[in-house]
Amino acid sequence: MTEIVQLSRRSFLKLSGATMLAAGLASTGVKVALAQESGLTYDKIVPTMCEQCVWRCGVLAKVKDGKVVKLDGNPRHPHSNGKLCARGQSGIMTTYDPDRITTPLIRVGARGEGRFRRASWDEALDLVAQNMLDIKQKYGAEAMIFSATHNLSQPLFENLLYAFGSPNYGTQRSLCFNAMVVAHLMTYGIEEPGRNYQTAKYIIYTGRNMLEAISTSESSDLMGAISRGAHVVVLDPRFTKTASKAEWLPIKPGTDLAFHLALLNVIISNKLYNVEFVEKNTIGFDELAQSIGTYTPDWASALTGIDANTIERIARDFAAAGPDAMAHPGWRTSNFVNSFQTERAIAILNALVGNWERGLIDSGGEDGGMQLGNPSQPPYPRITAQRLDGVPWKYPLVPLKIGVFQEIRDSVLAGKPYQAHGWFIARQNPIDSLPDRTKTIEAFGKLDFIVTLSIIPNDTEWYADVILPESSYLERYDPLNVVDNRIFLRQPVIDPIGESKSALWIYKQLGEKLGLGDYFQYRDEVDYLNQQLAPLGITIDAFAERGCWSPTLASRQTGERSSCFVPQEISVEEYVEVPFELKEYKFSTPSGKIEFASETLRKSKQPAVPTWIEPPAPEAGKFYLLTGKVGQHTQFATQNNLWLHQVYPENELWLNPKAAVERGIANGDLVKVTSDAGSVKIIVKVTEGIRPDCVWMSQGFGKISMGLKTAYGMGASDSDLHVTFTDPVSGGQALSQTFVTVEKA
Amino acid sequence: MANQVKKYGFVIDPRRCIDCRACLVACRAENNVPLNYTRNWVYDQGVQGDFPNLTQQFVPYNCMHCDEPPCVEACPSQATYKRKEDGIVVIDQEACIGCGLCLEACPYHVRYLNPQTGKADKCNACLQRIQQGEMPACVATCVGGSRLFGDLNDPNSEVSQALASAKSIKRLPAVGVDTGPNIYYINEPVDEKKLAVTEPKMPPADVFYQKIVIPGILAAVGAMFLGQAVAFAKQLRKGESEFEE
Repeated sequence: MTEIVQLSRRSFLKLSGATMLAAGLASTGVKVALAQESGLTYDKIVPTMCEQCVWRCGVLAKVKDGKVVKLDGNPRHPHSNGKLCARGQSGIMTTYDPDRITTPLIRVGARGEGRFRRASWDEALDLVAQNMLDIKQKYGAEAMIFSATHNLSQPLFENLLYAFGSPNYGTQRSLCFNAMVVAHLMTYGIEEPGRNYQTAKYIIYTGRNMLEAISTSESSDLMGAISRGAHVVVLDPRFTKTASKAEWLPIKPGTDLAFHLALLNVIISNKLYNVEFVEKNTIGFDELAQSIGTYTPDWASALTGIDANTIERIARDFAAAGPDAMAHPGWRTSNFVNSFQTERAIAILNALVGNWERGLIDSGGEDGGMQLGNPSQPPYPRITAQRLDGVPWKYPLVPLKIGVFQEIRDSVLAGKPYQAHGWFIARQNPIDSLPDRTKTIEAFGKLDFIVTLSIIPNDTEWYADVILPESSYLERYDPLNVVDNRIFLRQPVIDPIGESKSALWIYKQLGEKLGLGDYFQYRDEVDYLNQQLAPLGITIDAFAERGCWSPTLASRQTGERSSCFVPQEISVEEYVEVPFELKEYKFSTPSGKIEFASETLRKSKQPAVPTWIEPPAPEAGKFYLLTGKVGQHTQFATQNNLWLHQVYPENELWLNPKAAVERGIANGDLVKVTSDAGSVKIIVKVTEGIRPDCVWMSQGFGKISMGLKTAYGMGASDSDLHVTFTDPVSGGQALSQTFVTVEKA
Repeated sequence: MANQVKKYGFVIDPRRCIDCRACLVACRAENNVPLNYTRNWVYDQGVQGDFPNLTQQFVPYNCMHCDEPPCVEACPSQATYKRKEDGIVVIDQEACIGCGLCLEACPYHVRYLNPQTGKADKCNACLQRIQQGEMPACVATCVGGSRLFGDLNDPNSEVSQALASAKSIKRLPAVGVDTGPNIYYINEPVDEKKLAVTEPKMPPADVFYQKIVIPGILAAVGAMFLGQAVAFAKQLRKGESEFEE
């Protein structure tokens, strides 16, 4: 007996979903009204961690009658400080999404038709294991691709792929921050410096839209710094919400590098840098100083469209702020072929004012320096096959765990260096996130087997053969997270909906079916966590009340004054005057110092010091296509969330009035946007807030999965337009190197 | 003692609003606001000026909990009232008859008829939270630190302190009448013309009709309805148990 689940019964399901939801809310609504008198609207509060983006804010989840009714920011978690953004507040609707996948699903129609049947976990996992083992036997383990967006269960995902024996590990990072990460590895020996706003007096954001690409605590910290009087400069072709709070420089796309090279020029040639810091902590200054002679403000002005006097002033003011100046390293820095050089220039700019351990800090990486335990496991099998993404044979400087994601897709299409046959995709949406969606769908067509792990039937699930339903973050345990010498726990707030399971459970069960049980030596989620905690001599019972544990808490009998209880007191209205001490640091670079000139780069036949590279520009009549985030959505994941849909239902194309008039386009018109990769139709927003040579749209809309009954048919997809272009140094996808025409549809 | 009476109000710094809309979602979750309705807003006044000399202001907004609320005056069933102990304007959901007169009366248009209950609804400053010592949901989660809430009668409260050090203070009076709104916008001028503030639209101003006749009719109708409702509910419960058996 099979029950066919046709995800596209759109109108009926939309209606019933909405009705069910309304009924569910109505019943709680009455209770809340009655409870207003008594004051209590919940039965219990469970501390856990958000997963509406990767920032992982602390959450206090209020539960009433077995339902999550409200999420508050945990005041004891340094990433939330008591607050949650719109996405964090909407986590409830990620869990109660009427389109949630509640049982394993096996495809019954053609790929992309949306017809699946429900299956038991046993049947679904048997089918997955059988397909994976068949592929391994016929073509070798390397014919299976594994990809996942970075998350707390990543170590177990890595166990699955490396124990299976495949080198083909895809992350989303080359679509995001490769340029920033590789540049900081080459300069400071760390992937990403932390930012400290407590003393910040001068901040430069290079395309980092801090108030819309929100990280709750950091966005709050910026607003605190601004209200204390910090000067903020925003380089962005678009008048973002961040720009609206700052000195906005509508720079020509792709020329941020020229702007920063000119800052280096002014600061070095006028000897405005921190001489003592540079002497103690850096190498290659002389080579840098000689190389930047031609990068004058006048030279940069012609390229960037920013007045030379403005560049000169910003350089001088930035240097004058000394260690209290910060050039933000950025986040999604995959914009142009020269983005890596831009990031190098920014890294060096910070070192010139000596803001290390002041504006920029070593955030200590994932484990925060705390030694957690792990279940024992055998060593991985030796893997000799080449990686499909070209690391390191084509991209020697890109770290293995970061990779070049778009290159995997292209290798599937080309069948080179060998043909992949299967793809295991966990909590990731490559159909939407990779550039050129048509190509990605075509690549999927060349695979024998595709399995995904997801909460909702997003666009990638639409093309899958088997869908494994993961529990939402409010229903499951995940491995522990260390922040600032405190350990935080994600724990179930409610029972999982339907048959959904944690990634810890799914990877273990699949591992056992693949004969890899030795890599998953834990009974269940709690046992895994207790093995992590064993070196500290505690169990997860220590987390029951606060969802947090710290050594300070253990050492004090009272507990009340521990760091798990007391939020960090940060004065909002006044500067914290911390005396600045000049120290000598040991950096994890080959020289042990901050490398202005990098021998590693020189050996790889790349410029050892930051060097101008001319980016491509659109021909006459075409625009730069710029894309990015809004404060209400996370990448390609949240567009179906009913509450976020209420505050940002669909994307629009920003167009300058000059360009609009030339084309006879009015605000609100439907326009056709065409690139070399494809074309979309989208509503236009005519606004002064963008350069006349650019258009902008937010990502993640234009869904093709009819299983997403809220998001389907809303807006347009940037991935339909993005042309694939990879930065040869960092492997980053140059997302702003797509040029488009715009006409009335 | 008179000085123990609280006067709750909001102080909002539009300079610090980043239009992230966390307040809108937090309010929806906290108060079970049905989809397509809201109890609070962030007004985006749009980009002002010509490229590249631009400004943009975001103005958080909700019930003003007025000193002299026209909605209270307009309410025929006295469901809407201003709490004596703290000044919060609330709606007694049991007493509301869903007539909608208060929606018209509010010059700030912050009320809606809840389709699930048939009753009027609006911001109650998250009474259920402040009774537990928490801030209203919109204030607690405000990422930019734009929304503040507290006791304006307490000189040491965060709101009083913010007002004391404010560069400028602006309230948004209704058109034609100052109802004493209790949102104070600080540090930056706010243009009420862009916020759709109107004059209060009061029901027929026949005091006798309004204060005596309607309540009388309501009481009579209410009593009749109550009796019927009890009988109906009894029958329903009986019917249900029969069905289950």
